[in-house]
Amino acid sequence: MNSYYAINLLIYAGVDIIACLALNLQFGVAGIVNFSFIVFQAVGAYTAAVLSMPPDTAPDYSFQIYVGGLQLPFPIPWIGGAIAGGLLAVPVGFVVLRKLRSDYQAIALLVLSVIANTVITNARPFLNGAAGLALVPAPLADLFDPATYGYFYVGLTAVCTALVALVAFRIVNSPYGRTLRAMREHEVAATAIGKNPVALKMTIFIVGGVIAGLSGGILTGYITFWAPSVWLYPETIILFAAVIVGGRGNNLGAVLGALLVPVGFEEVTRFIPSSIGPPGLIPALQWVAIGLLIIGFLWFRPEGVRPEPRRVFEGAPD
Amino acid sequence: MSLFVAAFGFGLVSMSVIAIAAVGFTMQFGITNMINLAYGEVMISSAYVAYYLNKAGISIWIGMVVGALFGAAFSFLLNRIVYAPFQRKGTSYLGMVIVSLAISLMMANLLLPIVGYYSVSYQEGTGGLIRLGAIILTTNQILIIGIAVVVMLLIHGLLKYTRLGKAMRATSANPTLARNCGIPTQRVVDAVWLITGALCGLAGVVAALNSDSFAIANGAAFLITILAAAVLGGAGQPYGAMIGAVLIGLITELSAAAWSPEYKEVVAFGVLVLVMVLRPQGLLAKRGAMAAAG
Repeated sequence: MNSYYAINLLIYAGVDIIACLALNLQFGVAGIVNFSFIVFQAVGAYTAAVLSMPPDTAPDYSFQIYVGGLQLPFPIPWIGGAIAGGLLAVPVGFVVLRKLRSDYQAIALLVLSVIANTVITNARPFLNGAAGLALVPAPLADLFDPATYGYFYVGLTAVCTALVALVAFRIVNSPYGRTLRAMREHEVAATAIGKNPVALKMTIFIVGGVIAGLSGGILTGYITFWAPSVWLYPETIILFAAVIVGGRGNNLGAVLGALLVPVGFEEVTRFIPSSIGPPGLIPALQWVAIGLLIIGFLWFRPEGVRPEPRRVFEGAPD
Repeated sequence: MSLFVAAFGFGLVSMSVIAIAAVGFTMQFGITNMINLAYGEVMISSAYVAYYLNKAGISIWIGMVVGALFGAAFSFLLNRIVYAPFQRKGTSYLGMVIVSLAISLMMANLLLPIVGYYSVSYQEGTGGLIRLGAIILTTNQILIIGIAVVVMLLIHGLLKYTRLGKAMRATSANPTLARNCGIPTQRVVDAVWLITGALCGLAGVVAALNSDSFAIANGAAFLITILAAAVLGGAGQPYGAMIGAVLIGLITELSAAAWSPEYKEVVAFGVLVLVMVLRPQGLLAKRGAMAAAG
């Protein structure tokens, strides 16, 4: 195993863990089925890209057209990506989370995910359409020897993952997290004791959006590329599979799910020769396996590998 | 101006296709409480069934009947094997949405290696052109409109004038009460899946016939248009879905003429968002998106 492979694996693992923690806050803890999660990651990625890239009139970049191109120094594009994810959550949450029943919320978000991809693909002048943005500058690349840069990026990803994990664990164990769980279990009862479900959902939707945006920024800084084909709606389903397999509502479960599903799947199928069957058979079967995984877990073990701990008041009768 | 009149003609065809599909979708939801996100994939599968029959030299009109039968059988089995067991287990509405989305993903990817990535089209003459002023339609398109009108009348007759239709409406309004009154709700639900599955299969073949070519990827686009029509009319309401189909069909075709055909689904989505903000219960529904589940 060479170090490039290990670096690649670690960075993807970090990004997937961050994404799964955010989705777990929304879906696992608060019960919001955010089928457009990947859109928030994409917004963060695009924002980080156009903030760090030079204007599209620059010599090496003139083959693509995009807005922005501000060439800002390192932490700003990532912060901008995170902010963009949070900002997008405001109007989306405003439309979806206020009045709609929860299953309508899910389908509205799913449709949003498909449509956002269609719009970005067709509206080329905005973010270079289907071809996407290439040559996104890697953060602080000029400070490092290319040979050691990978290690630096792993460190950077690890710091971000640790920060997000800290935030996620604090939220789950805080009174706010408790209120979210109460709302998820019984929205009417939570409302009756004076909790505002719309405000609760909006805040966790925005927090999730910020984290998703950050994960997009990290990913695009590493792969130096971002296009509509990498954020199609089924990508969100992989993350759902991860959270369901790991254990809804349990942060450790989300981390475990991220390592088992997106990372594990990609690594296991790497060893299947792609020459078997008609072209595209293996990736297609990979998606079928993701679907089976979701249905299998929802049937046999809906609580996941690491179930959410039951929090019981000590004085309560049994 | 004549451009918009011509677009109105296409709108008539579009609304016919959407109406067949959306009425089936909304009846599934209204009576069995199942938002079946695999609906678009069942449509496209049926379109492929008809495609292979057509390729073997069988007329597309026979293929249409077989496609409808396939849709009925497939939807019935899908409910019996997957959805109904999950519902009996007490899976929440949200859980069911996730299950159906997983089914949709699996269907699309099981089909992909079988039928391939490329767009295909039926080997069927479009028939002669028929002119009504500035509206120019092919004979096939006129037939599609005719089929839709007949299907809508049949659905209306079924719901209003038959015992089965009455039982369906009762089951939709209150399943427990319906069962207590001696209505065999299990058999009613089976019948609903067969009928709506047939509508779904028919709609798939009709939609494929109406477009120049089709591919797996069209399943998602179908689904969005259907969702928009069903939600606009008030989910679970067959007559609402018909009105929704008329509006969505017209709006998407007129916007395609005025703006760009690439954004048809985007316009449908815009309508969906407006409805969700302004009137989440839909145009007709008494209990709609706002009411608590159950």
